[in-house]
Amino acid sequence: MSTLEFNPKQQAIEYADNSPVAIIKLALENFDNIAISFSGAEDVVLIDMATKIKSDVSVFSLDTGRLHAETYRFIEQVREHYKIKIDVLSPDTESVQNMVREKGLYSFYKDGHKECCGIRKVIPLRRKLTTLNAWITGQRKDQSPDTRNAVPVVERDGAFSTPENELIKFNPLSNWSSADVWEYIRSNNVPFNALHQQGFISIGCEPCTRAVLPNQHERAGRWWWEEATQKECGLHEGNLKK
Amino acid sequence: MKITFVKKIKADGNPCRKCAEVQSRLEKEGYIDKIDQTVIADERDMNSEGMQLAKQYSVNQAPFFIVENEGKETMIYTVYFKFINDVLNGQTSEEDAAKDILDTNDLDFL
Repeated sequence: MSTLEFNPKQQAIEYADNSPVAIIKLALENFDNIAISFSGAEDVVLIDMATKIKSDVSVFSLDTGRLHAETYRFIEQVREHYKIKIDVLSPDTESVQNMVREKGLYSFYKDGHKECCGIRKVIPLRRKLTTLNAWITGQRKDQSPDTRNAVPVVERDGAFSTPENELIKFNPLSNWSSADVWEYIRSNNVPFNALHQQGFISIGCEPCTRAVLPNQHERAGRWWWEEATQKECGLHEGNLKK
Repeated sequence: MKITFVKKIKADGNPCRKCAEVQSRLEKEGYIDKIDQTVIADERDMNSEGMQLAKQYSVNQAPFFIVENEGKETMIYTVYFKFINDVLNGQTSEEDAAKDILDTNDLDFL
């Protein structure tokens, strides 16, 4: 099926309450040119589920150059465990060098993480996604402390679609909680990143990720120094000063 | 074609960070003259024109652009570089486009 024939809005309604496996099946049956985005964390469950449907499923990871050693080892472990190829994407050398030369290695603590994430993650991701018709992510509703954010199980990707390439994004874990994911990992003996044993829930780059305390939201472990400015552009009533 | 630029004013009277950045880029990159009207979404007044437009078009983040063409569907752009590329046939650097994407999308799962 081509992207033009696939109706993500309709499928999002039909599959809203379906299991992650059913959503992955929908994705793999409808798109040949599709890949799983693997962050090196608990989204490994996507690979476990997908390889049971299609053993040679395409997977890619963004290597920002700043990941923990544990994450690199884990990506390698996953590659060997599932006998799959993982396309590890690197950022553009010149862009990284220019940023570091101008602002140093830790500019994100002063200027916010978006410039660095833009160069190390978004540009390589954008390039990769121009080569695909669809991608599968581990995005979940409960990852965001802002519960207003809707994460449909399938959607037209508004951020990365281009006039030439309409991209479809599948979020099979959207309705799962972190507890659901870990229940799956334990029940199915899925390998996991060793950082999780050290109190890390959400795992990103080493300088921008920290372990969290019991009952803290997982996002408390990411970019903790800039939370205050995150939502100031929202147009919800909830943003209004009471 | 009519282009409306909607920007948000926060409770303290200042524009939101992204709105100020986009305003500055429109001026610096020479596109400000292409904007037919600028409308304020005032955080202190839910009935302000910008807040009403946000509600009408189901937009939940500022700034955004409304592009009206006679006989065509009204288009809403919440990502600056897409507006520049698609509507004004302009160019933005990869770095700026990446930052715009991060500012308007939740990619924290990556």
